[in-house]
Amino acid sequence: MNGTFGHTGVLLGFAAAVVGVVVIAAGLARGRASTLRNGRLYAPLVLVGGVVALVAMEHALVTHDFSLAYVAENNSRATPLLYSFTGLWSALAGSILLWGVVLGGYATAMVWRFRRRSADELVAWATLVVYVVAAFFFGLMLGPADPFRHVAGPVPAVGLGPNTLLQDNPLVLIHPPLLYLGVVGFTLPFAFAVASLITGRLDDDWQGETRRWTLFAWAFLTMGILLGAWWSYQVLGWGGFWGWDPVENAALLPWLVGTAYLHSVMVQQRRGLLRIWNLSLVVAAFSLTILGTFLTRSGVIQSVHSFSNSTIGPLLLGFFGLVLVTGVGLIAWRGDRLRSPGGIDSPVSREGAFLANNLLFVAFACVVLLGTVFPLLYEALGGGQVAVGAPYFNRFFVPVGLGLLFLMAVAPALPWRKTSVETMRGRLAAPAAAGVAVVAVCVLAGIHGLEPLLAFGLGAFAGGSAVRALMLSVRGAWRGARSSGAPPARSVLAGWRGLVGRANGGMVVHVGVVVIAVGLAAATSFLHRGELHLAKGQSGTFAGHTVTFVGTRTVVSPSHSALEAVLRVDGGGVFRPALSTFGAGSTPVGTPAIDSGWRDDVYLTITSIPDTGGVWTFGVVEQPLVMWLWIGAGLVAGGSVLSAIPGRRRRPTDPVSAPSAGADRPAVPRGAGGDTVPDHRRGSGADPVPVGAGDPP
Amino acid sequence: MGPEGAGTARHTARWVGITVLVAAAGLVAVLATRPPAAVSEVQSPLVGKPAPPVAGTTVTGAPYALVPAPGRYTVVNFFASWCEPCRTEGPDLVRFQFEHQSAGDASMISVVFDDTVGAARAYQSQLGATWPTLADPAGRLALSFGVRAPPSTFVIAPDGRVVAYIVAPVSASDLDKIIADARSTNP
Amino acid sequence: MTIRKFPLWSMLAVVLVVALVAGSGILRSAPPSAAQRAAAIESVVRCPSCEDLSVATSSAPTALTVRSTVRQLIAEGRTDQQVKDYLVARYGSSIVLEPPASGWSLLVWLLPLLGGLVATVAVATVLIRRRHAVDEEPAGADGTEPLDGVALEERRRFLRLSLADADAEYLAGDLSDKDYLALRHRDMLRLAALEARTPEVSGAAALRPARGVIVADQPVGGSGSTPFDRRSGATEDPAPADPTGGAVAPPPRRSHRSRRSRWYLGGAVAAFGAALVVGVSLFATNRLPGQTPTGSVSLSQDQQVAQSLAQAAVLENQGQAGQAAQLYQSVLDGHPDNEVALAQLGWLEYQTGRSGGRASLIGDARAKLNRAVRLDPGDFAARLYLGTVLWQRDGNAPAAVEQYGRFLADGPPTALVDQAAPLVRQAYQAAGEPVPPSVAAG
Repeated sequence: MNGTFGHTGVLLGFAAAVVGVVVIAAGLARGRASTLRNGRLYAPLVLVGGVVALVAMEHALVTHDFSLAYVAENNSRATPLLYSFTGLWSALAGSILLWGVVLGGYATAMVWRFRRRSADELVAWATLVVYVVAAFFFGLMLGPADPFRHVAGPVPAVGLGPNTLLQDNPLVLIHPPLLYLGVVGFTLPFAFAVASLITGRLDDDWQGETRRWTLFAWAFLTMGILLGAWWSYQVLGWGGFWGWDPVENAALLPWLVGTAYLHSVMVQQRRGLLRIWNLSLVVAAFSLTILGTFLTRSGVIQSVHSFSNSTIGPLLLGFFGLVLVTGVGLIAWRGDRLRSPGGIDSPVSREGAFLANNLLFVAFACVVLLGTVFPLLYEALGGGQVAVGAPYFNRFFVPVGLGLLFLMAVAPALPWRKTSVETMRGRLAAPAAAGVAVVAVCVLAGIHGLEPLLAFGLGAFAGGSAVRALMLSVRGAWRGARSSGAPPARSVLAGWRGLVGRANGGMVVHVGVVVIAVGLAAATSFLHRGELHLAKGQSGTFAGHTVTFVGTRTVVSPSHSALEAVLRVDGGGVFRPALSTFGAGSTPVGTPAIDSGWRDDVYLTITSIPDTGGVWTFGVVEQPLVMWLWIGAGLVAGGSVLSAIPGRRRRPTDPVSAPSAGADRPAVPRGAGGDTVPDHRRGSGADPVPVGAGDPP
Repeated sequence: MGPEGAGTARHTARWVGITVLVAAAGLVAVLATRPPAAVSEVQSPLVGKPAPPVAGTTVTGAPYALVPAPGRYTVVNFFASWCEPCRTEGPDLVRFQFEHQSAGDASMISVVFDDTVGAARAYQSQLGATWPTLADPAGRLALSFGVRAPPSTFVIAPDGRVVAYIVAPVSASDLDKIIADARSTNP
Repeated sequence: MTIRKFPLWSMLAVVLVVALVAGSGILRSAPPSAAQRAAAIESVVRCPSCEDLSVATSSAPTALTVRSTVRQLIAEGRTDQQVKDYLVARYGSSIVLEPPASGWSLLVWLLPLLGGLVATVAVATVLIRRRHAVDEEPAGADGTEPLDGVALEERRRFLRLSLADADAEYLAGDLSDKDYLALRHRDMLRLAALEARTPEVSGAAALRPARGVIVADQPVGGSGSTPFDRRSGATEDPAPADPTGGAVAPPPRRSHRSRRSRWYLGGAVAAFGAALVVGVSLFATNRLPGQTPTGSVSLSQDQQVAQSLAQAAVLENQGQAGQAAQLYQSVLDGHPDNEVALAQLGWLEYQTGRSGGRASLIGDARAKLNRAVRLDPGDFAARLYLGTVLWQRDGNAPAAVEQYGRFLADGPPTALVDQAAPLVRQAYQAAGEPVPPSVAAG
């Protein structure tokens, strides 16, 4: 029953996508607007098909319907409801289903958003591309990755249950959907990029209009990655949160390119520059999502995360090749038309900083990609086997990260076009002083090590610069409120306007990134890892903390059983690292217990249990400032939300010389978004209004 | 980025595009021809080199040291009682030992990998293994052989060289074939 | 901040450099301790039975075995590379988490660096090329290039918008006077060149500067020194018929100087950045002092000798006299005057010679001990050995007593004195001298 519904849903989605492709292609070939308008009907059908299949699968999981092979392999009667629900995305075929549903959702949203322009060639081509991608993924589900495949042989009475590590923590409910919302979302800018290349319409408006979608996808991808790190920390037991695992890298690569794109598109919106960069970044981001999917699902690379092997690999690889050839080919073909009509005036300007930003992110993405696939390349070259792990990536990550912190500090204060040393000196004086003060204080406090000191100093510099930008925009909002006649109290409250909008939300995100960077530097440079051998009742000290082994406890429930060690840390809280067994007959896994504090985290695991009562061995890791990572993550999330809230209204007198030349171009360095120096040259404090130049005769 | 002549722009874009596509084609070719990681062999650097000394205490407490004897091949099998694939190969090992016991041309040694002596002893007696089973409490023997996970089997020639390394469950016929090959190339 | 009386930035730079130098510990770098070396190696060796975890972070039994093996190998005196090679010889090359910098795997280190180099060179080339283009003909104006109508219109639109943008930024205070005028001048020249190529000049009004902006004939003074009164909207330009009307060419000398100073600043920043990058990669916390970026630790000569001596002492304690002797000999081969090696080797040779009855060896031993005593008269061990040879072998009590006396006077450890006490007493008694209190039987 579930299988039938599921197959129907998948088939519906696939058919809708294919028919959509055909209809739009026909409409484009014939040039008929009515056909094109019909083409937009198929996106909701794709979504409906996906949702039907999703509901069927969830129903099968929740009711433990073992006639489906997927349910038999990833669910058991003893699995709690939550983990049955999350079983949808716990393994390969289900994750493709989730991808299809999310893609259907994005397609529907896109079609609805552009419903009035569905006869526009650009929108039509973009919709076509989205349909092609949807057809591919639903097609995968009809063939090699069929989630509703019937189990071969008799229906088992008990299922295998989900992977042990996936039953450990409720975060499995949020992390994969967030990741998919992020990764799948990059399809839309890619579709528009391809469409604009094909139609030759290389104006800026599609990028401006899809900016919010891209921000949305990027924000979810960021949250997904950060939550993944948190989940790693809570569950895996080695005390770290990022292992440069191939699966982690697969999600990081599109994020790196996507972040570069989000910044670089601002240059295109404002000045019309960096066009080829932006198109390349979008194509690269989407291609990397497909490549990442291939790497994690084909079984080519072994990792702690990897899904089971399947025959899906060659198909994904082929699709990756197709996407790359299409994108790069189109860019190379249209190379002549793509050139921006002007150039960057000066490298010391915001455009220059964004270009440097692009370079750093792309360079690091190349390094991550090289490191991830290098073992395969090396084997193919006949060299034998080699491993590329965390030490390699960290070596490159540190200089790139420090460089990015520096850019984050300097760029918000950089004006567009061109600047002078005096201007920059004035603007950056306070943040630079803050950075140097932090370094000095740290050295005096006895914190040593070049990398962490640089990270702290540059972090303070960048944080100071972001805070300065926020303060300026809040002050601008106050002035604006006061000048429009509001009473003083109301105008103070109106300062909140200085915190929303793209630029200000971005500054809050930067503050979050700085906090994360500081936490990362502290946790990785100053951690202490060791073991405590304790008998019951004994205490031991480690890195300034006292750990007392109080006793043990056994917890048995239908879904899992655990042997817990009860430890008291610093005479205060009680923490219970455990050895847990999920389901019957599986190997026990260690679950850690974490004492989180503002200053440091104490991470406790059970290393070994003596055969006969005696001395237990506990693994202890003390890491400073881990909490800051999660606080920073919250700030990044909050900043993204702020960024999506529209900023100050654009004034009607903004110069717009030609209608299609980006009607949303903020040509004015507005007080709420731009960067203004409140010195003697300003007039009454109102935003400057440029007049005159560019009016058509 | 600058408004240089459109001719140069076309050249740059095209050349960069071609380079990227060529590199990507190479990458795709490599990725397409990789076998799944779980199946690909982990090669041992010991193959062809003299085997490390196999000596220690058995699970029954007796000392043991492997002494090379002419014409006799030795199979060293690392196992654990918690290791599922080891159970599948267990009966094959028993059969192999039985077949070669009288001829004396091959002998079997098991080494405990990351397991307690008691559990290993119980496992072996349940299997019906009559050959020496070495305990390796500190894991030194496993390290000297470079064992990552059980079951790992090494075949040692009479002159002390390692001729084969199998990191999957073996069957008696596999072992026979390996020994026959080794004998033919190096009597 | 145009008031220069407070050299804030210089102070900041000085404080920063001092703090970084002090805090990074570059100045006081001791040779890495055994524990530090072990930790460094453990962080790059993979746990054999895990995926992607290093033995430092894993608590699997195989990881624990590898860790104790690493510590043992370090205690035996092997270098970091030897320890890694030991593990690679057993587990294969994928046991190390960083690919070795040799053979094909050198690619994984070289490619990023090469790529970065290529990118830097490309960006620099483009910048330099455009910087020259600025001074010459406005770009896009060479008449041979066939621009179609659409591209032309795009460029015109871009230039107009750039001009408007520049006005707005200038009014907002983001652009300095000098920069604004320079940008405006350049863009207007380009626009004029474009207009000249197509007869339908529609942008005459585009050349009118922003109302209220002074584009006067006055030479542009230093930033902020000439008061411009924006609000009075004084002296608006006459509507220019010729393209260059109304724009003031910035004095070339000033732009030269400012250009040069910008290069200096850029060069200084680039040098600082490069120094930081190099410093960071060289002094990364994962690395021990003295370690090259590819991970090997190279000890200095003295460190090497000290290490060999320590290792030989360990071997001696374990009873491996032959190996210890070989090690001492190797030290002497490189440093013939190392009196510790001389003394110890002499003593070993003496013992060997005595037990084997080989007089030549004993003669060698005696020569070594004599030399050791001569090189370092304060070395109590050499004195003790020499004294013992003199008494045991030669029966020369007075000479032995002389040596023993110096031995006792050099402040030897009590344990050694107790060990040597019986022999020393014998020698003193045979020589008829009073037994020193420290060796008196009691």
